[in-house]
Amino acid sequence: MQRISRVVLAHFWVAFGLFLPAVVLGAWQMLMRSPMSAPLDDSNAYYISVSLHGTVMAYVLTTFFIMGFGYAVATTSLARPMRGLKWAWLGFGICLAGTLIAAGVTLAGRATVFYTFYPPLLANRWYYIGVFMLVGGSMIWVVLMIVNMLSWKRDNPGKPVPLAMFAITATAYLWAWSASGVAAELLGVVGPAAFGATTQMDVGLARTLFSVTLHSIVYFWLMPAYIAFYTLLPVAAGGRLYSDRMARLTFIMFLVFSLPVGMHHLFADPEHGNGFKFLQAFFTFFVVLPTLMTVFAICASLEIAGRARGGRGLFGWIRTVPWAEPMVLATGLSLLMLGLGGLGGIVNMSYAMNSMIHNTAWVTAHFHLIFGGAVVIMYFAIAYELWPQLTGRPLRSKRLARWQLWTWFWGMLILTVPWHVAGLLGQPRRVAVFDYTMPVVARWATLVDISVAGGAVLLVSAVLLAITLLRSHRGAPYSVLAPLSYALPVHPPGRVAPVLNGFALWNGMVLLLMLAAYGYPVGQFLFVLKPHSAPAYNVTRPALQGASP
Amino acid sequence: MALTAAAGTNSWHWRSWAGLAALLVLAFLLGFVVMGRNTADPREGLWAAICRGIGLTPGYRDAAAPVAVVPSLIAWTPATLAAIASGDAGRGEFVALNCTVCHGARGISTTADVPTLAGMDAAALYKQLADFRSGKRDWGVMNGIALALSAQGLADVAAYYAAQPLGLPYLTGRTIPFSGRSLRSSDPAVRLVFAGDPSRGIAPCGSCHGPSGYKLGAPALAFQKSAYLARETAAFAQGSRGNDINEQMRMIAVALTDAESEALAEFYARGASSGN
Repeated sequence: MQRISRVVLAHFWVAFGLFLPAVVLGAWQMLMRSPMSAPLDDSNAYYISVSLHGTVMAYVLTTFFIMGFGYAVATTSLARPMRGLKWAWLGFGICLAGTLIAAGVTLAGRATVFYTFYPPLLANRWYYIGVFMLVGGSMIWVVLMIVNMLSWKRDNPGKPVPLAMFAITATAYLWAWSASGVAAELLGVVGPAAFGATTQMDVGLARTLFSVTLHSIVYFWLMPAYIAFYTLLPVAAGGRLYSDRMARLTFIMFLVFSLPVGMHHLFADPEHGNGFKFLQAFFTFFVVLPTLMTVFAICASLEIAGRARGGRGLFGWIRTVPWAEPMVLATGLSLLMLGLGGLGGIVNMSYAMNSMIHNTAWVTAHFHLIFGGAVVIMYFAIAYELWPQLTGRPLRSKRLARWQLWTWFWGMLILTVPWHVAGLLGQPRRVAVFDYTMPVVARWATLVDISVAGGAVLLVSAVLLAITLLRSHRGAPYSVLAPLSYALPVHPPGRVAPVLNGFALWNGMVLLLMLAAYGYPVGQFLFVLKPHSAPAYNVTRPALQGASP
Repeated sequence: MALTAAAGTNSWHWRSWAGLAALLVLAFLLGFVVMGRNTADPREGLWAAICRGIGLTPGYRDAAAPVAVVPSLIAWTPATLAAIASGDAGRGEFVALNCTVCHGARGISTTADVPTLAGMDAAALYKQLADFRSGKRDWGVMNGIALALSAQGLADVAAYYAAQPLGLPYLTGRTIPFSGRSLRSSDPAVRLVFAGDPSRGIAPCGSCHGPSGYKLGAPALAFQKSAYLARETAAFAQGSRGNDINEQMRMIAVALTDAESEALAEFYARGASSGN
């Protein structure tokens, strides 16, 4: 763990180090949107801020955190040094350089295209180069995860791959599939325009390709939370995992079903027929299955722990679960937010109901609750769990960590519940300033004010996180530190079916589903539809001449 | 033992693929047959319903394109941009001798209602000249002059004026934050330029004409002549000028009050500054 600790800590500190300023931006953005006056009151600054907040939260925090977590899992779950440590540092360097380039260009006001690009908006080419480096660098991580799992399997024939390693490898495959969409968009549509090879962009094609990434990336972000639910939570709660097979099936179903579903972000796009929109909405419902399986397995694991600690009766075990443990507390809070956010998500992905909330603030509220809330709170819990392993020092302190988790939970609810309601009342998303003297807009005023308070609570929580993690780098080191242990299932598998111990079958299924769901919708742009590209809209500088005075 | 494991694997494979195939068939049936038949014209056959599901409306191939009434013959296609880029400022200088009488030496206008051309973006110049030439923008003298020019002549003279100094400021693409310039500003011109007026459907002037943003074909307005700006705003409002491709200027201008257009013209003539 010694040599790997440095690489993991480097990843985590990039993630959390940029997370804190991005939370500041988020809190300011909500203030900007509110009837209250905000410092630096300017809509251009707002769009710069939104682009930066989105890029950092969606790409930097997640990718760096998950990569670091993956290296920790590969080392601890396989209980042997990770192969390719040098490659891990190389990937880190590429991702960090890409991050700095993208962030710098955005701060300079030359990439106000949000983190989803929105063609035909065209940013400065260096922004796309930065994002491409970040995504491309993370592919080194993907390869390292797969290589480490395969080499362990070769050295341990017939044995089941440890659940945590199996799950992080599923995450790696999922990310590779998912990133293929944005990579194709950058190389095929946005890149040629950014580098001046063409002045046109096929917006429909670009949006369709991005939709491949757009939803599956969410499950890429979500996977560490689920890995913690299945492998770390039962240990922290003092119990056992309910079922190893159920866990493996969950991760497999996420891999298979989270990919052919992205078109539920394109319900209002005119290029696609009803049939394919319905098809992908239909598949989206199947992602609910592994989620419900997880909720069941986690509750069962907690019940096992609660009863082992003396809980009796139908609900008595709930009281005896050790809620003071950050991991257990975070799981409880995460499941509450997952429940609320999941119900909202079912509205989003339903073909008919979507039109009610399409492009409203409801959508922004939804992904803040489910990603910023349910997922990111588990990132905190994982960090608290791993920090003593990484620094060799105890966490200072669990009490502060609990405060941080509770403030994050309440901050997120105060932020997002009124935000959802404002969306239902028709508040559009991606708008910098609202004229609250208009009667229809005035109805949202109180709701946005409450959201501002939620943002402030979240800011406090982010500061608490930084304090807790920083303080835990100091203090007396452990003389003896028990290695990180993963949950044992109630019935440890002596061997598992080979299909539950590898990914060949499941990747084949993903390929078939992707061909069925995306083959025609992407292919039609190349072979069926008449060319219908639009001129790129350079958000920085469209002038043809007069470049320098 | 090995035999059982292999048999188990086969059954996993078989069941998984069969399940997936069944799911796909069900999804296609629901999406393309059931939904297609229930949402489209019931007199249409099954095949037409499936085509609709794919996104192909019956007869889409044979449908004649509707006759379009276009406000301008210029679109920002690669060909247009290439034509503009091919402009030769040297040849343009010769063409520009025709312009000096009204637009001033080297395109710096000294007349209140004649626009300054020096430093204007070549794409904006080219589009307006082409619109004068095709009659899409109506201004007697200019229509005659533009008709006398060749297509290459338009590009040449556009290139010449775009390169002239001391007129309109060159576009720098600067988009640094302008603190306090939003809907909350007390100055109506600042409010309209930087935030627009959402309740009247007025987009911020500055997001296309500067200083907060620039769009292809939209001229930067800072230091432009105020009387010219006020006159053109009125022309858009009254519909006597209509060569804005998406009717955006006509919609905005008609929503502005007289006092507002005047304040905006003054604001831009001062160099996009409120002057205090």
